[in-house]
Amino acid sequence: MEHTYQYAWIIPFAPLPVPVLIGAGLLLFPRATKKLRRMWAFQSVLLLSIAMILSIDMSIQQINSSSIHQYVWSWIINNDFSLEFGYLIDPLTSIMSILITTVGIMVLIYSDNYMSHDQGYLRFFAYMSFFSTSMLGLVTSSNLIQIYIFWELVGMSSYLLIGFWFTRPLAANACQKAFVTNRVGDFGLLLGILGFYWITGSFEFRDLFEIFNNLIYNNEVNVLFVILCAVLLFAGAVAKSAQFPLHVWLPDAMEGPTPISALIHAATMVAAGIFLVARLLPLFIVIPYIMNLISLIGIITVFLGATLALAQKDIKRGLAYSTMSQLGYMMLALGMGSYRTALFHLITHAYSKALLFLGSGSVIHSMETVVGYSPDKSQNMVLMGGLTKYVPITKTSFLLGTLSLCGIPPLACFWSKDEILNDSWLYSPIFAIIAWFTAGLTAFYMFRIYLLTFEGHLNVHFQDYSGKKSTLFYSISIWGKAYSKTINKSVRLLTLLRMNSNEMTSFFSKKTYRIDENVRNIIRPFITINHFGNKNTYSYPYESDNTMLFPLLVLVLFTLFVGSIGISFNHERMALDILTKWLIPSINLLHQNSNNSLDWYEFLKDAIFSVSIAYFGIFIALFLYKPVYSSLQNVDLINLFFKSKVGSNRILWDKIINVIYDWSYNRGYIDAFYTTSLTGGIRGLAELTHFFDRRVIDGITNGVGVMSFFVGEGIKYVGGGRISSYLFLYLSYVSIFLLIYYFFYITF
Amino acid sequence: MYLVFTTNYFPWLTIIVVFPIFAGSLIFFLPHRGNRATRWYTICICILELLLTTYTFCYHFQSDDPLIQLVEDYKWIKFFDFHWRLGIDGLSIGPILLTGFITTLATLAAWPITRDSRLFHFLMLAMYSGQIGSFSSRDLLLFFIMWELELIPVYLLLSMWGGKKRLYSATKFILYTAGGSIFLLMGVLGVGLYSSNEPTLNFETLANQSYPVTLEILFYIGFFIAFAVKSPIIPLHTWLPDTHGEAHYSTCMLLAGILLKMGAYGLVRINMELLPHAHSIFSPWLMIVGTMQIIYAASTSPGQRNLKKRIAYSSVSHMGFIIIGIGSITDTGLNGAILQIISHGFIGAALFFLAGTSYDRIRLVYLDEMGGIAIPMPKIFTMFSSFSMASLALPGMGGFVAELVVFFGIITSQKFLLMPKILITFVMAIGIILTPIYLLSMSRQMFYGYKLFNVPNYSFLDFGPRELFVSISIFLPVVGIGIYPDFFLSLSVDKVEVILSNFFIDSFHE
Repeated sequence: MEHTYQYAWIIPFAPLPVPVLIGAGLLLFPRATKKLRRMWAFQSVLLLSIAMILSIDMSIQQINSSSIHQYVWSWIINNDFSLEFGYLIDPLTSIMSILITTVGIMVLIYSDNYMSHDQGYLRFFAYMSFFSTSMLGLVTSSNLIQIYIFWELVGMSSYLLIGFWFTRPLAANACQKAFVTNRVGDFGLLLGILGFYWITGSFEFRDLFEIFNNLIYNNEVNVLFVILCAVLLFAGAVAKSAQFPLHVWLPDAMEGPTPISALIHAATMVAAGIFLVARLLPLFIVIPYIMNLISLIGIITVFLGATLALAQKDIKRGLAYSTMSQLGYMMLALGMGSYRTALFHLITHAYSKALLFLGSGSVIHSMETVVGYSPDKSQNMVLMGGLTKYVPITKTSFLLGTLSLCGIPPLACFWSKDEILNDSWLYSPIFAIIAWFTAGLTAFYMFRIYLLTFEGHLNVHFQDYSGKKSTLFYSISIWGKAYSKTINKSVRLLTLLRMNSNEMTSFFSKKTYRIDENVRNIIRPFITINHFGNKNTYSYPYESDNTMLFPLLVLVLFTLFVGSIGISFNHERMALDILTKWLIPSINLLHQNSNNSLDWYEFLKDAIFSVSIAYFGIFIALFLYKPVYSSLQNVDLINLFFKSKVGSNRILWDKIINVIYDWSYNRGYIDAFYTTSLTGGIRGLAELTHFFDRRVIDGITNGVGVMSFFVGEGIKYVGGGRISSYLFLYLSYVSIFLLIYYFFYITF
Repeated sequence: MYLVFTTNYFPWLTIIVVFPIFAGSLIFFLPHRGNRATRWYTICICILELLLTTYTFCYHFQSDDPLIQLVEDYKWIKFFDFHWRLGIDGLSIGPILLTGFITTLATLAAWPITRDSRLFHFLMLAMYSGQIGSFSSRDLLLFFIMWELELIPVYLLLSMWGGKKRLYSATKFILYTAGGSIFLLMGVLGVGLYSSNEPTLNFETLANQSYPVTLEILFYIGFFIAFAVKSPIIPLHTWLPDTHGEAHYSTCMLLAGILLKMGAYGLVRINMELLPHAHSIFSPWLMIVGTMQIIYAASTSPGQRNLKKRIAYSSVSHMGFIIIGIGSITDTGLNGAILQIISHGFIGAALFFLAGTSYDRIRLVYLDEMGGIAIPMPKIFTMFSSFSMASLALPGMGGFVAELVVFFGIITSQKFLLMPKILITFVMAIGIILTPIYLLSMSRQMFYGYKLFNVPNYSFLDFGPRELFVSISIFLPVVGIGIYPDFFLSLSVDKVEVILSNFFIDSFHE
C-alpha cells in the first residue's frame, strides 16, 4: 500500500474547492449561490470525509509499519536559496489529521443546523472549509516555512470566524485582538525560523535536527543565540496555544459562533502550538533551558486558566479558560519530555472539549428562544439553570464531557491526565503539587458550570415560583447583589462570589462601579421577562434538532472510548498500547528505561489519588452550587453548617472568596494591564509620531513654503516699480562694495 | 535633427512609448460625442497598448538573456550626443507590464469622472507614455526627460480633480518632486560630462565607468535624493499622504501603483548599476533608513484619521522593504525588492481604489465617523478585507513572498556582521506586528459594528460589475504571485545576477 502515501497531498487540499467556489459564487452570482445552501454544506462534509478516510488509512499503515514518508516539490528556486513545498507523513501528522477531520466533520454537520437561520450560512461554510484546509496543511507540512505559511492562514481563518458576526462591536474587537496577539507569536516564530535557518541552513525538519544536533555535539554554536532563537520559536506556540503571557485572545474569541469555538478554539487550532512544540521536540530537547521554560509556562497556564475559570458567568468563557488550562497541561507534559502523554491528552481533550462546546452551543441555541439573541443573555449562566428538564440529551452528553474533563475513570481525559500527573511527580514535586491541585480546581469549575446550567430551575422564569419581581434579583444575586436580605445567608453560601454591597465596598473602591454594571446587565433580561409576563406566554427552552444531537452523540462515543488507545492492557507480554505503537519513532524522555510497562499497583495508587481529588472538587462544587431553592432542607442544612462556624472566620472566608472572585472576574487583571500598557503605548506612539510628522517634518516643508512666500512679498514690495527704490538699492550695494574694497585695500 | 536606424528590427518600443500620448492627443480632435465616447476610446487605447506590450514581450523578448533587448538607438540631437535610446531587460519588464495593467484598470476606475473628461483622459494617457518611457529608456538624459514628463500630468490631475485641499497638495507635490528633479538633473549632467569632452549619456558605457570615490559619493547622494523623494524615503515623504488624501482614486492608483515604484526602479537602475562603489558604502545606511521607515510609517499610520492617508502611510511603510532589499546587496534581497515593487504595485493600487470607491458612496473621510458599512456593501467588505490581508503579508498573497525573500536577503547577506543583522531583522519584524494593527483597525472602523446601518435613508450601493471586475483583476495576480512567485522572479533573476556581479568583482579587486 505504498502508493497511498503519494496521494497524501489530497488531505489538505480536499476541502479547498468549497471556499474557492463559494467565494467566487458569492461575489459573482450571489443569488444563485445562496439558493444552493444545503448543497454547499453537503459538499464540504463530503470533501472533508475524503480527507478523513485517507488519513485513517494512512494511520492504520502507520501503526502497522511505523514509517515516515516525505515528498517535496520545489516552490521558489533561486541561486542562493530554494524553498520547497511538500508533505511529511509521520505518526504525529496522522494523529492530528484524524483529529481535525473527525471533529471537523462533526462540527460541520452540527453547524448546518446551528447556523441555518444565519444570513452568513454560506460564508460560514466557506470559512470553515478554508480553516480545515489550512489546518490540515499545517499538520502535513514538511518544513518550517510551510508551517509558517499555514500557521498564518489558520490565524486568518480564526480572525474571520471570530469576527463572523461583524455587526457586534465586541466581535470586531475580539477578532482584531486575536489576530494581533497571534501576530506577536508569529513575529517570534518567523524570527526563530530565520535564526535556525541561519544556524543550520535548512528548513527541513530532519536535516535541521541532524545538523543542529551535530553542531551542539561539537559545540560549534553560540549557546545564547540558540536559546534566543528557540525562545522566539516557542513564542509562536505560546500565542497560538493561548499560553500564559499571550492567552488574552482566547476568552474573547468566544464571540464567534459556537461551532467555531468547538472546532478552532478548543480542539484543533489551539492545539497547533502543542503540535509545533511536539514537532520540534528533537530540537528543544537538546537545550535544557528551553525545556524548563516550556514546563514553567505550562504550569503557570494550568494554574492561571483554572483560577480564571472559577467565576465566569458566560458559559463559553468558562469553557475557554478551561481549554487554556488543559492546554497548559499538554505544554507541561511536553516540557517534561513526555511526548506521548502530551499527545494523548491532546486527543482526549480535543474530543471532550468539542463535546462540551457543542453541548453549550445546543444550550445556547435553546436559550436563545427564551431570552433573545444577545450573547449577553443567551450565554449567561445566570439565566440558565434547570435545563435538565428541557434538554435531556444535551444534558447527558454535557455531563459526560464534564466528567471526562474532571478525570473520572472510564472516560477519556482520565487516562491522559492521570499520566501527566504521574509524570509530573517524576519531574518536580512543586509542579506536581500545583498540577494536582489544579486537577481539583478543574473538577470544581467544570461542575460549577454544569450545575449552574442544568440543575435547579430555569432562572429566567424564576418569578413563576413566587410571583414577585424582586425574586428575580434573588436568583441573580448569585452574581453579586443581595437585595433580599431574608435569604441572605443561603445566598452567601451559594455563591462563592459577591456578597453584601456594604461588605464589598470595603475591599475595592471599584466594586460599586461594577455593581452598577451588573444591575444594568441584569435589568435587561428582567425587562424582557416583564414583557413576556404581560403577555403571559412563557416560552421554554427546547431540545435541539437531530442534526445537532447526532454530532453530540458521536462525540460522546469518542469521549467514552478514545481513552482506550492509550491504555496498556497486558503489560506482561510487553504488548504496548496502540498509541505507543503509533508513536514508536518518537522520543520519550522520562520512560526511557521503564519500557512503558506500568505497574498496576502504582497505577491504581495514583489513579485513586487523582480521582479522589477530582471528587473532592466536585463535592465542593455541589456543596456551593447545589440549587437551594429546589430543596429547602438543603438550605437549612447549609445554614446550620455555617452558623456553627465562628463569625470572624466567616468574614475571612468571605474576604478570600471576594479576592478570588475579583481575580477571576477581572481575568487576573492581565487584560487590563495589556490594555493600559500596550494598547495605550501604541496609541501614544502613534499620536507622537503623527505629531512629529505633522509638526516637525511637514512643518519644515510648510515653513519653507511660508518663508518663500514672505520673501516673495518682500521683494514684490521693494520691487514695486519705483525708480527711487531701485536707485537706492543700487547705490547702497555699490557703497557696500566700495566700503569692503576700501577696507581690504587699507589692510593689505 | 534627423533619425538614423541602427536596428533592423521593427521599432516596437518606440511604438509602445509613443502610442498612448499620440492617441491621447487625438482625443481633442475627435468630434465631441460626450464623455462616453472619450471613455471608451481611452479604454480601447489602454487595452490595445497592454496587448501590444504583452505581445512584444512574449515574442520578442528572451527572458533568459540578461542583456538589454529590443534596443533602439536613434540619434536625436547630434552635437549633444543625445540619443533616443530605448531597451528593456529583466529589471524593467516587470514595471512596464505593471504600468500597463494598472493604468488600464485606473482608466476603468475613472469611469465616473465627467468634468473635463477629455483632458482627464488625455492626461492619463500622457502619464502612461511617460511612465513606460522612463522604465524603458537607456539614455540618462532621456530618462530624465521622461521622468519630468510624467510629473505634469500628475500635477494637473491632482489640482483639477482632487479634493478640497487639492491646490495645497498639488503644489506640495510639484515642489517636492521638482526639487528632487534638480538633484536628478545635476546628477545626470555630472555623470554625463565627467571624464571626456563628449558627453556620454548611454547607460552601457556609463556602467563601466569609474569615478573617484568622493565624486561618486556626491553623484550618489544627488541621485538618491531625487529617488528618495519619489519612493518616498523618510524624511522626504510628507507629500505622499497629502497627495493621496486629496487625489481622485484613479490618480491614487497610478501614484501608489507605479509612480512610487519609479523611485525604487531608479535606485536600482542608476544608483546600483552605475555607482556600485558608493552603493556599497551607503548600503548600511540604506538598511537603517529602510528599517526606520517601516517602523516609523507603521506607527504613524494608526494616528491618521483620514482613511486615504492611513493607506498612504501603509505604502510608505511597505516601501521600506524595498529599500532594505536594495541595501542588502544580495541576490535574494534584490529579487525580493523587485518582487515587492510588483506586488505592492497591485496591492497599493487596489487599496486606494477600494478606499476611493467606498468614499464615493458614504461621503465620509474620517475613520471615526464610519462604521457598519459591511451590511449594505458586502462585496466592498470582502475585497477590502482580502487586500488588507494581502497588505499585511498574509501567506498565499504577493506581499508575503516579497517580504520573506527580503528577510532571507538580509540573513544571507555577507556584507553585514551578526549583531547588526539580528537587530535589523528584529526591528523589521516588529513591523509585522504593527501592520495588522493599523490595517485591521481600519477595516474594523469602516466595516464592523452597526453605526451607519441605522442612519436614516441611506442608500449605499454595493460594487457594480465594473468595480468588481477591477478589484478581482487586481486580486488574481496578487494571489498568483503568492502561490507561484517563480514566474515573476524568473523575469528578473538573471539581470539581478548581472547587477550584483559588479559588486563582487569590485570587492574582489579591492
